[in-house]
Amino acid sequence: MKPSGPIDTFQPIADRPAPVQTVGPVAWMRENLFSGIGNSLVTLGIIAFLVYYIPPILDWAFFSANWSGTTEDACVKDGACWVFINAWSYQFFYGTYPLEEVWRINLMLVLLLIVIAMSFTLPKHYRMKASIAAWLALPLVGMAILYGGWGGLEVVSTDLWGGFTLNVFMAAASIIVAFPFSFLWALGRRSQMPFIRSVSVIFIEFFRGVPVLSLFFMGSVMLPLFFAEGTNVDKLIRVWLVLIFFMSGYMAEVFRGGFAAVPSGQYEAADSVGLSYWQKILLIILPQVIKISMPNILATFVMLFKNTTFLLIIGIPEVVQTLQTALANSYWLGGHALEGYLFVFLVFWASCFGMSVLSRRIERTLNTDKRD
Amino acid sequence: MAKKALFTATTLATALVASATTVQAATLDDVKARGTLTCGVSTGLAGFSEKDANGNWSGLDVDVCRAVAAAVLGGADKVQYKPLTAKERFTALASGEIDMLSRNTTWTHTRDTSLGINFAGTNYYDGASFMIMKDLGVSSATELDGANACIQAGTSTELAIADYFRENGMSYKAVTFDTSDQTRQGFESGRCDFLTSDGSQLAALRIGLANPGNAIILPEVISKEPLGPVVRQGDDQWFNIVKWSLNAMIEAEEQGVTSMNAGDMMKNGNPANKRLLGAEGELGANLGLDAEWAYRIVTQVGNYAESFERNVGMGSPLKLERGLNASWRDGGILYAPAMR
Repeated sequence: MKPSGPIDTFQPIADRPAPVQTVGPVAWMRENLFSGIGNSLVTLGIIAFLVYYIPPILDWAFFSANWSGTTEDACVKDGACWVFINAWSYQFFYGTYPLEEVWRINLMLVLLLIVIAMSFTLPKHYRMKASIAAWLALPLVGMAILYGGWGGLEVVSTDLWGGFTLNVFMAAASIIVAFPFSFLWALGRRSQMPFIRSVSVIFIEFFRGVPVLSLFFMGSVMLPLFFAEGTNVDKLIRVWLVLIFFMSGYMAEVFRGGFAAVPSGQYEAADSVGLSYWQKILLIILPQVIKISMPNILATFVMLFKNTTFLLIIGIPEVVQTLQTALANSYWLGGHALEGYLFVFLVFWASCFGMSVLSRRIERTLNTDKRD
Repeated sequence: MAKKALFTATTLATALVASATTVQAATLDDVKARGTLTCGVSTGLAGFSEKDANGNWSGLDVDVCRAVAAAVLGGADKVQYKPLTAKERFTALASGEIDMLSRNTTWTHTRDTSLGINFAGTNYYDGASFMIMKDLGVSSATELDGANACIQAGTSTELAIADYFRENGMSYKAVTFDTSDQTRQGFESGRCDFLTSDGSQLAALRIGLANPGNAIILPEVISKEPLGPVVRQGDDQWFNIVKWSLNAMIEAEEQGVTSMNAGDMMKNGNPANKRLLGAEGELGANLGLDAEWAYRIVTQVGNYAESFERNVGMGSPLKLERGLNASWRDGGILYAPAMR
């Protein structure tokens, strides 16, 4: 029996609150920045820090900065004196290289870019041979173009080379020359012959174990004393040699890692088809080693490139040394160190970032077997 | 400490090699054959050897190089500058990489006697001194008892100031910094009452202050730092040329010969002027140079006073007083041996 009473009618229940928003910026902030008391406090702290520090920095670097002019007197506002960078920009990039000859430096930079581009744009068929030849010829061609003294080119003594382009050339020239040497050292270290093996080990461990600064001191201060009287090896050449030795020690270890990573089946397969030792190494093993080692090779190159700023310790006018010389000029004594070092920082950061983008690109090109 | 050990090692090595090979080929012939003088300078020191934005070198030390080039090669611009650090300067000289060194180098007994080098004179008498803010109300270093001192670590000034305060029975508290830039900032922000460094360096630091007018440099000079050009031992002719090129600049100031009036003085001056400028006498021939060597120095580089004013004196941002570096006739100690 049905209970008597009013007939059931539709009774709406009270509205429930809308669900917590799960998309959109507000939700993202709630989830990631204000999910608890601790998180909220940290977020607020960071925001306060940024609000407090960012506007003065922006103001210093842009709004109150001095942009135009040629002398220190043009820096009247409180902000950064970018006039300093502007006035010294030629020195920072090219050193004291004569203005009318500066096309030679620019030509070298273009050649360097062409050779880099060649390495992965040429048809596969002759890419390897052509680009290896181009790479090995580059330091010699570069030296000839920059130094001059042939075909009507005026001699530009190495004392006049300097600035950021010197950092680039020193790094490029030493890594290119070090490349084949380091390959030989790595082979030597894996060799069965005790003499070659121990010489290689000693060389590699010496140049890896000694700080690059003390090597530079050796090159600049000690080395000249060992030469015969009257033989003057140019200071730049001496530190170039030091950089090559240093670099080949490091790269040898990079290559050794590459050799170890090639499966032993590859060696055995090469042996079984009757290839000679050098055929085996150059045709079968080396291409795989380079592919495996590519990330490390580029990392080592970036390291060497940054290490070239240590050359300031022996008075080579690379970019940081040029900056310090500029800071000591009696017409620019107003304290522009901050602007100068920020500039060097940006230039190096941009170059190194560019190189790491390039290296990822190269790795993708080389990644033939494990394409994902 | 490591720095010191390294320096000692380098010094020893330099001394060893230098003593083994004291007999050199004639530097004069080498320089003439090359057509340029290679001169070791600093990597940048305001007023002494500095580079401008166009890459041209100038300064009091650079002018000594220019004077030698003018005397030997006939042109003050025929100089190849080699920027050297403090550590490698003597090696560069010993190995023949440079013909002469003009790089704010203090003339000390040890260096002169043990490194196989010769100091060819003094072109700037420097010494540690004090800079204070005006509102400290101090006019002499003897009133600085108990003060805080901003000092750059690892400099010879550190020793000089310790000696000076002990000698005068005073005390101070050292606040040390790594670079001269940081030292200046420490001084400016009031971390210390006075800043101490070499006089020439103080002048450069003072320009970098927000208000250079607020700072004064006290008159006391508490250490001896005679700076001068250096040559290798064993080539007396070259030693003489560098020594007398510097002396010619000093002598020209004493005689009142300037780059402006040198031509006139050569014709119409007194016998001493004529001897200096080569119209009479054998001074040039005795050095192995032509008669007009000093005339070229004075016209192309200027006498010492002109060089001083242009580079570090009132004509420059440094605005250094002549002080000790005035000619002996004006109360300084700059004195060239007799030019006859």
